Amino acid sequence: MEFKVSLGPQHPALHEAVSLRMTLEGEIIRDADLKLGYSHRGIEKLAEERTFTQNIYLTERICGICSHSHTTCFVQGVEQLMELIPARRGLYIRTLIAELERVHSHLLWLGVAGQEAGFESFFMYTWRDREVVMDILDWITGNRVHYAMNTFGGVRRDIDELQKKKILDSLDLLTKRTEYYLKIGANEPTFVGRLAGVGKLSREDAIALCAVGPTLRASGVPMDVRKDDPYAVYNEIPFEVCTADSCDVLGRAVVRVKELIQSYKMIEFLLKNLPDGPFKVKAPRKVKPNEVYSRYEAPRGENVHYIKSNGSDKPERLKVRAPTLANYTATIKMLKNGFIADIPLIFAAIDPCICCAERLVQLDNPRSGESKVLSFSQLRTMANDHYKKVNLLKKEAVWPF
Amino acid sequence: MNNKIVPFLPELLRHLFKKPATVKYPFEKEAVPEGFRGNVVCDAAKCIGCMICVNDCPAEAIDIIRVSETEKKFKMILHNDRCIHCAQCVDSCPTKAYHMDAEYETAAFSRHDLKIEYK
Ligand code: SF4
Ligand code: SF4
Repeated sequence: MEFKVSLGPQHPALHEAVSLRMTLEGEIIRDADLKLGYSHRGIEKLAEERTFTQNIYLTERICGICSHSHTTCFVQGVEQLMELIPARRGLYIRTLIAELERVHSHLLWLGVAGQEAGFESFFMYTWRDREVVMDILDWITGNRVHYAMNTFGGVRRDIDELQKKKILDSLDLLTKRTEYYLKIGANEPTFVGRLAGVGKLSREDAIALCAVGPTLRASGVPMDVRKDDPYAVYNEIPFEVCTADSCDVLGRAVVRVKELIQSYKMIEFLLKNLPDGPFKVKAPRKVKPNEVYSRYEAPRGENVHYIKSNGSDKPERLKVRAPTLANYTATIKMLKNGFIADIPLIFAAIDPCICCAERLVQLDNPRSGESKVLSFSQLRTMANDHYKKVNLLKKEAVWPF
Repeated sequence: MNNKIVPFLPELLRHLFKKPATVKYPFEKEAVPEGFRGNVVCDAAKCIGCMICVNDCPAEAIDIIRVSETEKKFKMILHNDRCIHCAQCVDSCPTKAYHMDAEYETAAFSRHDLKIEYK
């Protein structure tokens, strides 16, 4: 016998508002559907009414944890529109903050995974160690969460010798701690047993459903924007793309621990090779009409900003695709045929950031001039109806691959 | 089974003697780092009324008002309830009229109490 159960939008297992409707057979999820739209904030619309400078701080507030990811993605897009070459030292510092952010985000994730798996002491260890990198960020940028480091043409603050030394010292501690976590994984059978085999996502599914970030890499696909389409100074830094082949939550944990170690090496490289010179160059206020598509590898996966300018000091359009949104379809796949009790863990494994992913679609009818706002499910129904009504001549079309 | 506990032993023992990671706020306060972005402070005497800060402030938290008909004198009103402590105004001002202090306890009972006037 089948049951329909809905989870959320408000539920203690979910950290943010999202609604999940499931069809259950006993304890097993047979079908799942995700409903979004509970924490929509209208950031894209707001961005059209703000100047580019103001928008740096607006995009920063898309997400609390990847605040630097969103600003970098936006800023490097606008720099391309401005045809501005940022200062090299600025790019190094920008990359440094990006990697520090990845470290704090992955440590946060490890803690959350530990907590969801019932390993509370692991949660406390990782979150205490995370304070080390939070303190570094606080110290070099002036704030723990919203660093406000990016500006067009470079960064807003320089890094001095004392700060460099302090970061390098803290790195030793963090590296030691991360190696300790690796040992825990090898020696704690209950933790490994809890994560292994949960939320399976095969390599083919991960590619077909366009998963991104550690979720994709844990299914054995070595894709990373930092390697595939290097931005900032990633083409100058030696690093490896970390993958795992187990295709489950355990793999996603392994990828993140490996990435932590890579990030420590990158931070060390960046600090030791920090070029001299100015950390920012002057940027124009107005931007020529053009459009740009900017990609960035955030801790959760590929983050995309599409920016269109119209010659004024405000963008004509800003479109944000946060990594969590890209991972939703894969999450549904992971939930299917799994246990209801694994939901929090599977959800936590994509490291969801619900409110970053909330976007809406507005359709303008060119003939009547009316416009209406649709949810994604309405849009889906509309598209299907459309294909039913219109007898398209593409019935015999074959996918070329 | 027992050898599984061994890797955790040093960690367990270390924690018995370790100082707690938290502090007893508000009785004990941690110092903020140098360069911390606290409240905006304005030296209104330096202001030339160019309005760059008003245009750049992402939170529309700044009002610059001319106070004298004859002289170029301005006062600055900071709506601290809206300010997001980004320090863009500090960067934008051509006469360096702004700086940020180290204050972080800014809670108030009413948003009107958060309005600050610099003359
Ligand atoms: S710190 Fe930022 S939000 Fe606050 S007044 Fe200055 S520009 Fe506006
Ligand atoms: S930017 Fe400086 S000088 Fe210009 S209006 Fe603001 S405070 Fe005055």
